[in-house]
Amino acid sequence: MYKKEFQTIFAYAKDKTDETEILLSAANSFSVKINEQNVESFNYADSKGIGVRIVKDGKVGYSYTEKFDDETFKLIVDEAIENAKYTEDDEVVIMENYPEITDNPNVYSESLDKVDVLDKIQLAQDLEKYAKEADKRVFNVPYAVYADGKSYSRIANSKGLDKEDTQNFAYAYVGALSAEKDDKRMGIEFHITRNFGEFDPKKMAEESVKKSTDLLNGKPAETGKYAVVFNNEMMATMLATFSGIFNAKSVQEGRSLLKGKIRQQIANEKVTIIDDGLHPNGFSTSAFDNEGYPTERTVLIENGVLRSFLHNTITARKDGVKSTGNGSRGYKGTLGISTSNFLIEAGEYKEADLFLKHNKTIEIVSLQGMHSGANAISGDFSLGAQGFLWEHGKRKHSLKPFTVSGNFLQMLNGVEAIADNFKFDMSSNGASSILINELNISG
Amino acid sequence: MLNRNIIERVVDKALSNGADFAELFVENTFNSTIAFNDSKTKQNIVGNDYGAGVRVFYGHTAIYAFTNDLSEEALLTAADAVSKAAKSKNVIASIDLTEKEITNIHPIDIPNNTISKKDKIDFIKKVDEASRGYSDQISQVDIRFMEKNQHVMIANSEGLLVEDDRNYSRVYVSSIASNGTEKQVGGEGPGRFAGYEFFKSIDPVKLGKDTAKVAVTMLNADYVPSGKYPVIIDNGFGGVIFHEACGHSLETTAIAKGASVFVGKMGEKIAYEGLTAIDDGTIPNEWGSENIDDEGMATKKTILIENGILKSYMVDKMGSIKTGYARTGSGRRQSYRFAPASRMRNTYIANGNDKFNDMIASINEGIYAAKMGGGSVSPGTGDFNFAVAEGYMIRNGKIAEPVRGATLIGNGAEALLKISMISNNMAMAQGMCGSVSGSIPTNVGQPAIKIDEIIVGGRN
Repeated sequence: MYKKEFQTIFAYAKDKTDETEILLSAANSFSVKINEQNVESFNYADSKGIGVRIVKDGKVGYSYTEKFDDETFKLIVDEAIENAKYTEDDEVVIMENYPEITDNPNVYSESLDKVDVLDKIQLAQDLEKYAKEADKRVFNVPYAVYADGKSYSRIANSKGLDKEDTQNFAYAYVGALSAEKDDKRMGIEFHITRNFGEFDPKKMAEESVKKSTDLLNGKPAETGKYAVVFNNEMMATMLATFSGIFNAKSVQEGRSLLKGKIRQQIANEKVTIIDDGLHPNGFSTSAFDNEGYPTERTVLIENGVLRSFLHNTITARKDGVKSTGNGSRGYKGTLGISTSNFLIEAGEYKEADLFLKHNKTIEIVSLQGMHSGANAISGDFSLGAQGFLWEHGKRKHSLKPFTVSGNFLQMLNGVEAIADNFKFDMSSNGASSILINELNISG
Repeated sequence: MLNRNIIERVVDKALSNGADFAELFVENTFNSTIAFNDSKTKQNIVGNDYGAGVRVFYGHTAIYAFTNDLSEEALLTAADAVSKAAKSKNVIASIDLTEKEITNIHPIDIPNNTISKKDKIDFIKKVDEASRGYSDQISQVDIRFMEKNQHVMIANSEGLLVEDDRNYSRVYVSSIASNGTEKQVGGEGPGRFAGYEFFKSIDPVKLGKDTAKVAVTMLNADYVPSGKYPVIIDNGFGGVIFHEACGHSLETTAIAKGASVFVGKMGEKIAYEGLTAIDDGTIPNEWGSENIDDEGMATKKTILIENGILKSYMVDKMGSIKTGYARTGSGRRQSYRFAPASRMRNTYIANGNDKFNDMIASINEGIYAAKMGGGSVSPGTGDFNFAVAEGYMIRNGKIAEPVRGATLIGNGAEALLKISMISNNMAMAQGMCGSVSGSIPTNVGQPAIKIDEIIVGGRN
């Protein structure tokens, strides 16, 4: 698709730039929100944009547009060339025609595109209805949402690379508020899939309600040091928050605490952390990254030993290694590095057994303030949390909101056991429930 | 931006299957960002955001569609899609638009994107040099220099046709201090609803030094002890707590859903009697100001809380339909990709009568939060969590040693009642506020306030 647009830009840029790359994204999306069984909002989107990255005299410039006409296409090439003049970056960009992966991952479901809109509305209505029915303490269901999307992307460069990809997905979530006396708690449950039949609104609704009612009437946590279990969803959140420490650009610019630590033991030997661009169950799966470079499964920490960082072709060339296929940009953005399906490998423990190791354990099922209370540069965190106190393997009671604080690397060193309940979150970060020997809790 | 006949045909099409209201929003935006670190201009991007959104109401339902294709055919297709989803029996006859001239209350001297890149890079380099010159411990300085010019056109089935031009200018500086094993950050991001004259009005050397000072001070600080303390939260970005923990709960998006602790509290005392809070889009050239909101209504100054009494919510058009309160010019959106929603503008706690020194002197042992970082709030419950970016202990009525790693946690509605002193040094700070209708520029602000007791999460 969009062959003519690519030809126009390449033809215009041919004699003006040394190298040219074009990235196009086009997407259709739909979402419906339900309130009191009525459709509260209904959104359709049909969007596209095109971005160019050019090299001229060894310097890189970018520009983009959402306006598709020949005159604008010429303008963005000129603007990118102008921008390149002012770039002082010593990073060398060399575009290549990177190979194709033979086994392309399956990231598109034709049947998902054919789901009737009335079935989508019904699903969101059911989420709300079942949540209200699940428990009489539920007084509001502020979120009952279904959404889906289909995206097409194409990347090509002046060295002959030309790759395209079509993906789709659907997700739903439900948030229930329950109250008892003056205490109010929220529980949210989500599901993402390419198979519409997988949605089980009753189960999702009941799960969201249970998450909120379990937390009601919490007692204050006693301030002190505790063994802590992050459940699978919250462990994925922690992992995602600190994923930037593996970014090779951050490492090279001296802003990662992992600088100079390759081949060193930086975590407990139970810890293996992987970025897998080809994971069959992930929703960040693609055969190539935003430079057109093939993606792969990259082991970052293997049994506690730091093995690799996440690279694009620029950082890889600097370090004398191969790109890991994590080059990342949208048509509006400049090239960076991001995780794909980012995970900590599952262990063998049953989740309940994690609570048997210590007399007292705090279980964390909700975290707040990830973008403010977590310092990705120092690894320090101090986060709002919700959860439960366990004693001798039994869940004693819920806790009023408290804070949990520590340092991410110390936490990875303090891993005592990993459960087998692996799960991806909405953003393709995956983890199992994990027991940490000691963290600070203040209530 | 578009021929009036085309606009009328698109709005008519959106109404064609019955609807209570239809609206067309068209946008043409130029963005420019320079990203600078390692003392070099690393990335340089300009671009054009371009698209339109069509919205239709029936009853309490809003239907929205957007496209990047502004041809008549594509706009009619989008209008047709929303009209088919509408199920109103209400029929509005074909519309007749009247162009409304706006009064520009935010004059611009030097429009964005008219100054050479070299001038901008010179400014950035001065910031970088000043930060690095402050201390050997400064190991990295990240600077983003951002300009945006957004042209909008809004037309609706009530006959409104209005256009406006919006200039935004902002520089964000983040200085990182390191002692070899640890790193701390100091950041500031001043911005205005203005052109390049804004950058001329700020001192790059002071900006660089100020961020470096926070990073170095925090690097050499000890961890804060955990516990419950009285806290003084100083002016400027300290207002983020009110914004997050109370402001969002006063938007009709939350009120109409019943997902706010302030539902049904109009006219009641919800805060300390000395507290007045305002959301104002009319302050000339402030970051969160506008001439019109994204539904085409002239912006306003809205008193939210007066002497502790709840006076107004922030109301957009759908919020007005759902709650019955009059619109406050609060319908805002990031871009054509979002339907508008009730949002904040420049939201601040007004000056009180207490002297800052008296406030510090009133505390035996507590925390002075000189600069706040970001935070978040659980929707529905109002529980919040905020990082202190620059903090000090208060001991025996005096500001004592710096402390790091502090997080303030509490509940918005409860904290409002635990405020006991308000100073007279109100200042605002700039932020990007993310919510249902995208990420939009908003100011937070307050004078220094004292909260009698709040949980401080720390290390020990």
